[in-house]
Amino acid sequence: MSDLTIAQKMLGGEVAVRSAPYFPRKKKRITGRSIAIIIFLSICAIFFCVPLYVVIITSFKTMEQIREGAMFSLPNVWTLEAWDHAWNSACSGINCNGLKVGFWNSVQILFPSLILSIGISMITGYALALWNVRWAGGFLFLLFICAFVPFQIIMFPLISMTAAIKVYGNVWGVAIVHAVLAMPVLTLIFRNYYKDIPQEIMSAAVMDSGSFWKIFVEIILPMSGNILIVVLILQITSIWNDYLIGVTFGGMGSQPMTVNLANLITISTGTTRYNDNMAAALQTAIPPLVIYFFVGKLFVQGITAGAIKG
Amino acid sequence: MAFRWSRWSPQLALLPAVTVTAVAFVGAIIWTIYLSLTRSRRLPEYGIDWSEPLRQYTRLFADDAWAISLKNLIILGLGSALAIVFGFILAAMIDKEKRGESLFRTVFLYPLAVSLIVTGTAWRWLFNPEFGVEHALHSIGLTWINFSWLSTGETAMYGVILAAVWQSSGFYMALMLAGLKSINSEIWSAARLDGVNLFRLYTEIIIPMMKFTFVTCAILLSLGVIKAYDVIVAMTNGGPGQSTYVPAYFTIQALSAKGNLGFASAAAVMMLVITAVIFLPLVMLTAWQQRRTGRAAH
Amino acid sequence: MPKVSFEHITKTYGNVPVLKDLNLAIDDGDFLVLLGPSGCGKTTLLNLLAGLIDVTDGRIMIGDRDVTDVDPKDRGLAMVFQSYALYPTKTVYGNLKFGLSASKLPKDEVERRIAWAAKLLQIEPLLNRKPAHLSGGQRQRVAIGRALVKNVGVFLFDEPLSNLDAKLRTETRLEIKKLHDTLKTTIVYVTHDQIEAMTMATKIAVMNGGVIQQFGTPDEIYERPANLFVAGFIGSPAMNLRKVKLSIANGKTEAVFGSGVRFDLSDYRFATAPQDGAEVILGLRPEHFLVGAGTAADSAATFEVPVQYAERTGPDASAYFVLENDLLALRVEPAVAAGLKPGQVVPVRYLKGKAHLFDAQTGQRM
Repeated sequence: MSDLTIAQKMLGGEVAVRSAPYFPRKKKRITGRSIAIIIFLSICAIFFCVPLYVVIITSFKTMEQIREGAMFSLPNVWTLEAWDHAWNSACSGINCNGLKVGFWNSVQILFPSLILSIGISMITGYALALWNVRWAGGFLFLLFICAFVPFQIIMFPLISMTAAIKVYGNVWGVAIVHAVLAMPVLTLIFRNYYKDIPQEIMSAAVMDSGSFWKIFVEIILPMSGNILIVVLILQITSIWNDYLIGVTFGGMGSQPMTVNLANLITISTGTTRYNDNMAAALQTAIPPLVIYFFVGKLFVQGITAGAIKG
Repeated sequence: MAFRWSRWSPQLALLPAVTVTAVAFVGAIIWTIYLSLTRSRRLPEYGIDWSEPLRQYTRLFADDAWAISLKNLIILGLGSALAIVFGFILAAMIDKEKRGESLFRTVFLYPLAVSLIVTGTAWRWLFNPEFGVEHALHSIGLTWINFSWLSTGETAMYGVILAAVWQSSGFYMALMLAGLKSINSEIWSAARLDGVNLFRLYTEIIIPMMKFTFVTCAILLSLGVIKAYDVIVAMTNGGPGQSTYVPAYFTIQALSAKGNLGFASAAAVMMLVITAVIFLPLVMLTAWQQRRTGRAAH
Repeated sequence: MPKVSFEHITKTYGNVPVLKDLNLAIDDGDFLVLLGPSGCGKTTLLNLLAGLIDVTDGRIMIGDRDVTDVDPKDRGLAMVFQSYALYPTKTVYGNLKFGLSASKLPKDEVERRIAWAAKLLQIEPLLNRKPAHLSGGQRQRVAIGRALVKNVGVFLFDEPLSNLDAKLRTETRLEIKKLHDTLKTTIVYVTHDQIEAMTMATKIAVMNGGVIQQFGTPDEIYERPANLFVAGFIGSPAMNLRKVKLSIANGKTEAVFGSGVRFDLSDYRFATAPQDGAEVILGLRPEHFLVGAGTAADSAATFEVPVQYAERTGPDASAYFVLENDLLALRVEPAVAAGLKPGQVVPVRYLKGKAHLFDAQTGQRM
């Protein structure tokens, strides 16, 4: 992980050197090789874009046109019928209230999950990185191992535990499990970030105030801006995109949007309405895609920092 | 020594994390291992039949679906490895040809931002035997192409692999790009002065220099493959038949659909064992790297 | 009554001892400099006093209070760090205010102290700036200010000048000295720079290998170095140390060089009785040489040595000669240095009563 940040810093330095005013960069002539590379990359880019393109145009088509079978052609008539249908009346199991139910569930899951997971990992990372805790090394190693444990091995015990504290099947259950599963990785990310805060600043704070919480709130929290945004984006996208935890702990009433979508496309009764399916997929994908296209750089930082999350 | 509050407050603040680790991870793992030794069916039973404590494991290895799951795990792992190769090629080209770097990067990485359920939905549609890509190709005369991979057991896994490669190549590209950028720029100049051709430069110098990045990618990929679940649900739901079962899917299926707790626990323990086998080299690698950077710091 | 004292301090990291049974006491109002090369344990000692690390064994007293197990914030100390350790997200005002956060003072007292420190250090116009927008010297002042507002009896400084350029370093040195004269507080100051130590300290503790080599006033340290380490560490160019043989004959004590030159030690005050024929180390300060022949009355010895080179170091100059295959450093007048040609053999003499003798085995002053 630290390797990557170093690489990024070096990249920054390299760019700065290259754009130094003393050596105005020569306009590179386009060589044959450049053209070949660009053509190859463009073909790859098309391959990456095809699914998105097909999903978008299908979601605006009528079923009649879809049945004609021209998958790649643009809609004859652009219609929002499928979007409306997916949002308001698509069926997830026996309930046919559309994806909006799942959307609001996802939103309700998102906020407590974010607060719980980031809160607990931030404090833990802070305590492990900047305070003298004798067993910190051993605990960090344990967390490192926990970050790789497959979910299935703790699935049934977690179901029992959440049932025991009466949160199984509601938003809180999903939020707590998200916080639990994210805790090891996020703690490691925060701990690595806080480790770079100069020791002397911590020493000064210990001599000035000495209070664990006061130092956190007044000194450390204001210094966490960057990492907080990166982790926030990482968590928003991973909680929003999660399926397994939602389907396991959401019960009937608190299933997130991804579960609705999966139900819609897998459990189909009668003729499948492909345009509805595609509209539903897009509706589920839009929130993280918006984040990606606006703050893509931070998103990439987040996934590389959380790389071990897989 | 006197009681010092300042000494205790950080440890107190660690209490939630320690509790979570002890209960939800360590405790839960032990619980599941224990359950795998019992005859639990829908509800947990805590008596162990000592005459045959490993009965669930015996059943597991006799199970055809589990055998398919393991086979698919290997196929998926080998197939997804293409994502690393593809990611490296993309990264090397983007790094060499700076034009359009940010555009290409954005395009190659966006699949990572969306849920695997969405990815699966999209690919399921592309593979649709009635109206999908195959139909489109047939209608322009390429009738010899078979692209409805998901509808037969022999090819369904390759469909999953294609979707997985599409989804994750960008991620490996990002890791590789970071690795390439960290290579001293003087090496490129030196190679040009020496007249080394590009292919040899990559195979003999650049790739060996990036071996740590490659190993990291390989381990991350393996761990990702073990966890693969969402994409299977969205694309094939394990079908046709049981042809796209993987351990993660098998385990959850055993628990939620069949309600066979002891059996599912045994499968989960096997998943943990497979993870450990992959994870061990990573731990060693990390330790080795820390020692190296530790030495460099002195 | 000693204001700060270390009693039998031992500090080990794992199995590595950093400090071994260390004892040190200074009076109220002293300016103690802990001086030594890096890794000698001086910063460890300071951090132990600050409470940032714990002693393995021993006791630390401030006044009558045993502070060994007291929290750093309750020890009644303030510290200025090498990197200044200003809180980057707080303004100068916020930094000073946070310095008082443990003291639970009424609001107007906090304001009064900040105003007082800001005035004293002339940082009033900077109060609303963030540390990133300050120069090195300004940051230094804020760091001192954050210590001053606490109004405590003991200030700790951890190499506070090492990040400043040479000119600023001299200025700040004088200012810290002035501050000490005004406030009359006890200061413990860690540095590896002997000029800082000699100019500011009232007491110097020279440390090496976790042991205090010598503790005394700057004059004592310079005039009577207790052992070879102190002798070699203090002074620039360093003291010339040569192995010689003692010769006691006809009531006259002399040191005999390998080349046969005899060095008169009749006015040397031996702490232990010298023995004829003993191997000892003779220490000769570069500034106690004079170029040119002298008389037996004013010089302990005269050497005929070839010039290696001479260099001017601003107000004065150093000249290097070859004596018994080793360089002999001399401080000379620039005018004299200008007249020295490499290779030229010149007589140089050493002043009487300025020699230092050390036991060749123990390295202790004789």
